[in-house]
Amino acid sequence: MSPDKTKPNYLFIALSILGALFMLFFGLRAFRAFKKFDGHRPPFPEHLQTDVNDIEDWMTIPFISHNYGVPPDVLFEALNISQKENHKKSLKQINDETFAGQDGYVLETVRQTILAHQPPAPLDSPNDAGAPLETPPPATP
Amino acid sequence: MSDYLLTQVINYGAPLLGVILMLGGIGIPVPGTLLVIAAGAFVRQGYLTWHTTALISILLVVLGDNISYSIGYLAREKILLRFSHTQRWIESEKFFQKWGALSVFFTRFLITAIAIPVNLVAGTTRFPLNRFLLFDVLGEILWILGYGGLGYIFGSQWELVNDFISNFGGFALGIVLLVIGLRQAQAWQLKKQRLSN
Repeated sequence: MSPDKTKPNYLFIALSILGALFMLFFGLRAFRAFKKFDGHRPPFPEHLQTDVNDIEDWMTIPFISHNYGVPPDVLFEALNISQKENHKKSLKQINDETFAGQDGYVLETVRQTILAHQPPAPLDSPNDAGAPLETPPPATP
Repeated sequence: MSDYLLTQVINYGAPLLGVILMLGGIGIPVPGTLLVIAAGAFVRQGYLTWHTTALISILLVVLGDNISYSIGYLAREKILLRFSHTQRWIESEKFFQKWGALSVFFTRFLITAIAIPVNLVAGTTRFPLNRFLLFDVLGEILWILGYGGLGYIFGSQWELVNDFISNFGGFALGIVLLVIGLRQAQAWQLKKQRLSN
């Protein structure tokens, strides 16, 4: 028996509704991302970063060290951990394995150590954080 | 998973990025666009070199796409056993022969969510391999250099760029679904009018 050609195909009705919902949902999210992006800080200067808030849990110490111009030994020393065993681990992994129960300790220590040891930024390049840096607190080993 | 993969890309560089993108091309769900944008930012930070990263990524993602094309190609016989006599299959095959090149091209970088089904359908419908390869390579070059370039330009803001692009991809998919649905509804309306006359 052939299907009734005058009956609407519900698959295509569902497809249209799904398409409209996708457009609405993702369109709003894209718009929100664009707005956030528009009012965001300018990109960092060519070589060194200064805004420690850009440091994230997934980064490794050698990567942070490279971006912020602070030797990795200083960061490993501040955390009191071995460089050899931890140089490929993310901050989160180091925190979970070595400082379990102290949520965010590694991230915070790395941020503070960077602030304390970062080479001074050239006078003509503004701090890309868009906000003044705080007085560097002492590094906590 | 994204965070874990970002850490590993930092550790192992372009070869690992290429392997992840190849797995994405085969059909394993990985955050490919996010990694490409992030890689652009890593190039800017001097952590990766742009030419090696771009070359390895393009070669391996094209290899992955061709593997999924081959899977579709090899699965043709089994699929034909079940669907070959249906009108819908014949229409799908015709549709893909007509619009396949554009489908392959745009799903590489704009509507990436349906890239794998497109690769499989391309293989199953015996879309010519040389045309598939041409539009696949063009689309992937645009994906790697275009999105990686955005990561490079916007540096530390790359996560916001990724957020925007991912959602824009969903928005574009919505447009495609809506257009297909409306066109079919229009075709049904015309058919209904013809039958009633």
